[in-house]
Amino acid sequence: MKPLNEITIAEARKLLDEGVVTSKELTKACLTQIQSLDGALHAFLEVYADDALAAADQSDQRRADGNVLSKLDGIPLAIKDNMLLQGKACTAGSKILQGHIAAYNSTAVRKLIEAGAVILGRTNMDEFAMGSSTEHSAYGPTKHPRDPERVPGGSSGGSAVAVAANMCLGALGSDTGGSIRQPASMCGIFGLKPTYGRVSRYGLMAMASSLDQIGPMTKCTEDAAIILETIQGQDPSDQTTSNEAAFKPDWKTSLKGLKIGLPKQAWQAGGIESRVLENTKAALAELEKAGAQMVEIDLPYADEALAVYYILMPCEVSANLARFDGMRYGLRKQGMPLFETYAQSRAEGFGDEVMRRILLGTFALSSGYIDAYYVCAKKVQALIRQAYAKAFQEVDLVVTPTCPATAFRMGEKLNDPLAMYLEDVFTVSVNVAGVPAISMPCQEDGGMPVGLQLIGKWFDEATVLSTARVLESELSKQ
Amino acid sequence: MKLSKEEIAHLAKLARLDLPEEKLEKITKDFGSILEYVGRIQKVDIQGVEPFTMPAKSEGWRPDKAFEVDEATRELILANFPERAGDLLAAPGVFETPKK
Repeated sequence: MKPLNEITIAEARKLLDEGVVTSKELTKACLTQIQSLDGALHAFLEVYADDALAAADQSDQRRADGNVLSKLDGIPLAIKDNMLLQGKACTAGSKILQGHIAAYNSTAVRKLIEAGAVILGRTNMDEFAMGSSTEHSAYGPTKHPRDPERVPGGSSGGSAVAVAANMCLGALGSDTGGSIRQPASMCGIFGLKPTYGRVSRYGLMAMASSLDQIGPMTKCTEDAAIILETIQGQDPSDQTTSNEAAFKPDWKTSLKGLKIGLPKQAWQAGGIESRVLENTKAALAELEKAGAQMVEIDLPYADEALAVYYILMPCEVSANLARFDGMRYGLRKQGMPLFETYAQSRAEGFGDEVMRRILLGTFALSSGYIDAYYVCAKKVQALIRQAYAKAFQEVDLVVTPTCPATAFRMGEKLNDPLAMYLEDVFTVSVNVAGVPAISMPCQEDGGMPVGLQLIGKWFDEATVLSTARVLESELSKQ
Repeated sequence: MKLSKEEIAHLAKLARLDLPEEKLEKITKDFGSILEYVGRIQKVDIQGVEPFTMPAKSEGWRPDKAFEVDEATRELILANFPERAGDLLAAPGVFETPKK
């Protein structure tokens, strides 16, 4: 048997139900792994060892009493540092929130707790989820588990590394332009961004509210489905949550009849690393072998989507982060007049990337420029959504590489914000359109992981996950 | 589209960010390449296109009324205040003109 921290949630569930392992043993295995590796990797900002062990004990008691709450009962998970867990520090990787204690539970985390999950700790992230490398955390970078000289991707880099390095059985991330899928791709794990409206963001620190979505980061497709089933659903505290039918897994064993669209704008784009092309194309061949029909499609506005994103997102950032003003919580510079209190608290508390985006948004919303930037971007967003709707009349899924390249070296893109933004070229249009997408690892060959992105119709996570699972099983046979 | 350092300084004032010279210079430089990149959307034909807005949901409305929280939650909220006067939030005076 594999070490307990290395198994999947589905495997752990089976062992728990059979009485072969306890939640306490699972939790201890994860805590031991954190203790031995996290000094070097820095995936966690805080580990709740005592609380986790106590929660595991309670779960074991429930199981002994025959009162198992859900598939996640007793499963040790990690959460990203931008989701509130009542009574625990929550900083969004920012100095401006150093010492901030969450006053209430975010809906997603509350649902995990009510399902009996064991929360191991909060994971590192780019400050306020702004970045693609986890280097923009005010608490130091997270390292790639296969090469400490490289970044794990971001912004959910801490959650990705916690899963990839077997420090937990699964984790939550958040995705505004690729922040679940890009680090999942770079670390060789599964990361699902659900449809906009599928999961409540109540208690998630808002970055760009029209794009933000919480999702699972896991070691296999089935685990992603288990977590999504738990955290999904309409929430009176988040008006954007949808009353669509709930997601239910619909596992298929063959892909016969499935039509997959390969946008030429992605596959024929310049600048894709050869390793990424080779690995993703090999995965496409497996999808085809499993019965899927591949068609080249036209999905216009691929480049414009990134531009739209880097206008809409900063506009919402500038509004959302106005609340960090040193008044009700977080850092406050004392002993000066009001304007200086605001301006100095914010300048000291925010990192450079956050301030850059606040200023970009302030500009794009300012009188004289709002039509040329914000309003124009909202119109192009409408065209991007139409392009996806049209593509999905023809195909069931759209497939692209998740990232143009594998994990890059630390510091490589730190002084070139545009190069960092281009990391998101294949992931952002998914958020701009609001559709669901998973990044899953291609064939494991011991090198830097490569991710394949499967994009589905609005609220059709079932097809995305079912197809990913067939591919996962084909790849594992090799 | 290029912005001058003075225009960036004005945006920083609007956004309540007290930035030193060297950061203003760095951001001015970064803005050059970013604005050039995002400017490409202005070449898209958007004639007759309506800006995208999320469809409103009628069931999203709720009565605008305060709800009670338990004592522990209340204490957590108060404990996050940077400065407290008893159970009140202490803040600098608000009726002042910005100095810069």
